[in-house]
Amino acid sequence: MTISPSVLRGIQESIPLFIPAIPFALVFGIVVGESGIPALIGWSSSPIIFGGAAQITLLSLLGEGASVAAAATAALIVGARHLLYSVTMAPKFQDQPAWFRWLGSYVLIDQVFALAVVHRELEPDQFRQRYLSAGFTFWTLWMTFTALGLFVGPIIPSEWNLAFAAPVLFVGLLTVSIDRWQKALVAVVAMIVTVALADLPNRSGLLVASVLGIALGLVLERFRR
Amino acid sequence: MTAFLAILLAGVGTYAMRAVFIVVLARRKFPPLALRALEYVAPAVMGALVMSMLITPEGTVVLGAPELGGLGAAALVAAKTRNHIYALVVAMSVFWLIRYTVA
Repeated sequence: MTISPSVLRGIQESIPLFIPAIPFALVFGIVVGESGIPALIGWSSSPIIFGGAAQITLLSLLGEGASVAAAATAALIVGARHLLYSVTMAPKFQDQPAWFRWLGSYVLIDQVFALAVVHRELEPDQFRQRYLSAGFTFWTLWMTFTALGLFVGPIIPSEWNLAFAAPVLFVGLLTVSIDRWQKALVAVVAMIVTVALADLPNRSGLLVASVLGIALGLVLERFRR
Repeated sequence: MTAFLAILLAGVGTYAMRAVFIVVLARRKFPPLALRALEYVAPAVMGALVMSMLITPEGTVVLGAPELGGLGAAALVAAKTRNHIYALVVAMSVFWLIRYTVA
């Protein structure tokens, strides 16, 4: 059996891109451990959702007593950027078989999108092989590392307060997403509103703050250039 | 089982967002207003989430010197290096240092 060069390249180029996801897998394990949700159910979010930030959001909110609707809505808002990935990749998928459009959508995570944008000019067959081999390399690694995180998480003594790593990672994601002052202001306002609404039931303050922040962003757009 | 229900809902929704244009609406353009709104999703939601993660189930905000120091360090390192591993290591060190020396 020979492996096509495109498949090999897809595997090779995805491994270094996976390294930044490793802390997310560890924090995921800690969050599930602290939530009181059975490990296997927590882990099932890896194949079912396949998105680190959305999974951590969902399970940490459930652990903090959020309702199913509030937690799922928050996880979906966190994942809203996937709409952008879908609309950007759609033209490239039109000369592809239907099965690939269905399957490829499942592995359209941040890193696969970043690679696929770069490989847009490849022939359809090559593009498909490269995309799927990268996508399912990430998939296999994420399944493995989130399972490892579930074993490592509960071993760490709770006095270390490693749960604090979750907001730390999200501050990192927040910082790299800010490329102009409007976004910084939106983030600060969303933070203040969330704290002000801390008493609201089911973590609904988070959703109110997100919607207000996005609305503020649209207003601030007028001040661009 | 409510946790599994939430996971299923989030999973179906996430898949739908990834597939909608690729599988269904390939020739549809995204409305420009929605495109601009999407740009602000990350700062708004991430900002709200960071604070939400510091709120206890009883509604108390846990934001003292260790937390502020840790999050500030995370922001600085992430902005400088864009590396989440460095940010995590430095921020946790600052957090522990303030917690066990000052507090």
